[in-house]
Amino acid sequence: MADHDQEILPPTPGARASNFLKRSDVRQTFLLGIFFTAVFVVLGLWAYPKWMPTVMSKQMQSNEDIMIWFTVISAPIAGVVLSIATKSFLNMHRGDTPPEEGIAIRTNTPVVIVWTATSVLFCIVAIVWGLVALNTESIAAASDAPKSLIVDVTGSQWVWSFYYPKQNIHTHTLNIPVNQPVTFEVKSDDVNHSFWPVQLGVKIDANRLVTTEAHADPTATGPLDIKCAELCGLYHAYMETSGAVQTPADFNSWVSSIQATGGVQE
Amino acid sequence: MTTLSHAPASSRPIPNPKKSLITKLNMGTGMVLGIIFCWGTYYAMKAGRDMTDTHNVNKVLLMSMFAWSIGFLIGIGALIGPFRWLIGKDLTAEEQLYLAGDGQGIKRYFKYCTDHKVVGIQYLVGVMALLGVGGTMAMMIRTNLATPGSHFVSPNVYNSLVGLHGITMIIAMIIVATGPFGNYIMPIMIGAADMAFPRLNALSWWVLFTAIPVLCSAWFLGGIPTGWTSYAPLSDQAGPGMNAFVATIIIFAFSTAIAGMNITTTVVAMRAKGMKWNRVPIFVIGATVSVALAIPAFPTFMVAMIQTAMDRTIATGFYDANVGGSGWLYANLFWIMGHPEVYVILIPGVAALMEIAPVFVRKPLFSYNAAIAGFAGIAGLSILVWAHHMYMAGWMPSLNGPFMVTTEFISVPTGLLFLVLVGTLWRGRPWMKLPMLSVYAFIWDFLIGGITGIYLSDVPADNYLHGSMYVTAHFHYTLMGAGLTGAIGGLAYWFPKMTGRMLNERGGYISFWFVQIGFNVLFLGMFIAGAEGQPRRVADYAHLFAHANLISTIGAYSVGTGMLILLWSVIHSWRSGKIAPMNPWGAKTLEWTVPYPVPLVNFETPPVVTSDPYGYGRSAK
Repeated sequence: MADHDQEILPPTPGARASNFLKRSDVRQTFLLGIFFTAVFVVLGLWAYPKWMPTVMSKQMQSNEDIMIWFTVISAPIAGVVLSIATKSFLNMHRGDTPPEEGIAIRTNTPVVIVWTATSVLFCIVAIVWGLVALNTESIAAASDAPKSLIVDVTGSQWVWSFYYPKQNIHTHTLNIPVNQPVTFEVKSDDVNHSFWPVQLGVKIDANRLVTTEAHADPTATGPLDIKCAELCGLYHAYMETSGAVQTPADFNSWVSSIQATGGVQE
Repeated sequence: MTTLSHAPASSRPIPNPKKSLITKLNMGTGMVLGIIFCWGTYYAMKAGRDMTDTHNVNKVLLMSMFAWSIGFLIGIGALIGPFRWLIGKDLTAEEQLYLAGDGQGIKRYFKYCTDHKVVGIQYLVGVMALLGVGGTMAMMIRTNLATPGSHFVSPNVYNSLVGLHGITMIIAMIIVATGPFGNYIMPIMIGAADMAFPRLNALSWWVLFTAIPVLCSAWFLGGIPTGWTSYAPLSDQAGPGMNAFVATIIIFAFSTAIAGMNITTTVVAMRAKGMKWNRVPIFVIGATVSVALAIPAFPTFMVAMIQTAMDRTIATGFYDANVGGSGWLYANLFWIMGHPEVYVILIPGVAALMEIAPVFVRKPLFSYNAAIAGFAGIAGLSILVWAHHMYMAGWMPSLNGPFMVTTEFISVPTGLLFLVLVGTLWRGRPWMKLPMLSVYAFIWDFLIGGITGIYLSDVPADNYLHGSMYVTAHFHYTLMGAGLTGAIGGLAYWFPKMTGRMLNERGGYISFWFVQIGFNVLFLGMFIAGAEGQPRRVADYAHLFAHANLISTIGAYSVGTGMLILLWSVIHSWRSGKIAPMNPWGAKTLEWTVPYPVPLVNFETPPVVTSDPYGYGRSAK
């Protein structure tokens, strides 16, 4: 009798959802989804802070936050994809003949709509996050300009050189004071290079006869590694130098020591 | 189109147009004439020129390379038809039949053969050779990077390895699916007797073939110091080896334009009766979208290279800031090609896997329309995202925001590709044969590639990641994880139809796990190195990155081992593998309805299509 009723009256959406969630394959897939989501969340929260260099600027903090939180946000999507794939993989048929026919699901419009809407939502979150971060950096760069330390950076095959116009010193290491914005005015003497003070989390290409700009807000003292991130010929790998984010007193002392030797670092 | 007899090849006389020149031409005559043209041009142009002037050296070398290509094509008989047209004639019917390679056995693979199946095999062997060369260079790169301070190769050789590995693999990956399967399988899949333009089909392969020695010559001319991106002004400064790169790209662009036009026309005009657009196999859709995307993309690269050639030969200064040019012009032209090119590689691989999944899960392809929307969305957006490669170039920082928006939106159609595959797998019981393994590998690899792509598309995060090893790992996860994985799946799937034999399963499984485990070890190590701050394309690095690099190198050797096992499996199976039945997978697309060897005109009777090829499955309870 009950079977007969079911044939006549299709189950309500609530009953269908309840039946769906009671299925063992759905539950197993759900558990796998939680597992993979957790793996990606842990990966994001643990791995990037461990791998990435010490945060020494607002820009680097912004970069690291994006790496961490984009991983966390994308974790449920990865969880859905990997759980379905893993469940199906574990359900494999082996042998020399094909398995029995599966269920003929041509499409499922609500699923397609929900999937697409979720992708769009995730995408919008990523875009808004990125635009806000970009805008924050641009506004900060503009408002900080009057109090910025200016450093002229020149790339040439295969050395970096620096000139501090206000201090009138030429150096081959990059020292800057903590808690003071810095603007790098970057150009090249020859081919393209890419100026990368790693721990500051900023980067800009050095082009011949064109000056490009990068801004950083150092927030912590410590050593800096300056590398070239654009293939620039034979010794590209060795086009690197060092430097430091220093306390203002240490920075002033360093500047004075160079000024005392004629303004050129030995 | 040539009208060919429908009688079986064995019962037809071998065409023998004795007086025709075409019977005497082959790859050997092509090479002889190519070399004569090349050396003739070299010595003729060199005479009376000051060869201490690098502009003159570049002129002579470039023209010699193009002369090789033209000489080879004349020597193999590619231009006999056009020459005849000049005198108001064409090839005779018998000559056309001869060109189709009917009854000529293995010799036809070394001739200008118009049979799409022969061209497909030529592409397959060519791709394998390119992957072998590119892979060997990858092993050398990783060997040099195994430990800091290694001097396995000099910095000059290292830079050349990086550039030549890059361009070799890019060329290989562009043709890896559309070359072998787009030529051999695709016309049969749509029920056609051949491609729309069989002579152009052969031309596309042999033009590409002429680019290979040109690219190899870069080694003997001092290598290339620029990477495959060949940014200016470094490319203007580069030595004579750069000419080989420039000539290769120009020749290759011709080949892809010809192939793209041919495949597109074939799919539009030559589908079997009843094959409406919503009944076209998804691989055919993917291959068509891919080549259609390539049609505008590669000429842009060619223009960029022609301007590089002009800067290097007649000092035009397109990219020379000293005379008013700009390297940003090159960067824009390059990436206008460069980003669509990523999807030119990726889409056919994914489409091959979408063709495979329903067959082995015995379910219909989930949401065919979503797959089409995914391909179309990716193709459309991919031409609007190029400058995300230039966020840190300093060119138009105000455009970084808009390009970030278009780039991140590409994740929506990309997500549809995942939906189609996981929807097909949902509640399925997959038949775990070799082709199906690639579907799972793709899902994992491309998921990692896709998620990491979202970081890179974000301008503030790219501030840190751009130009680092992280980028290298990301694009290998997409190009190799999707494009190559899809092509290997396609090879395992269509191998029985292309060779008449089954691919050795044990070898295939062993190879699969070596490659996939190695691949993930290799590039997860590279992600770590990039996140730690290692720039890409460096011959040496700080001790800080030592562990990550050693991990990567170990992974690379595993990939190399796996690919060698795959190569052995392919060669062994092709020579003496198990004879394949006509339809070993029980698939429903048309290529499985023809026997091996596939008849010259594919179908004894033109097929009529009454449904799409995904009618698997039973009704839900």
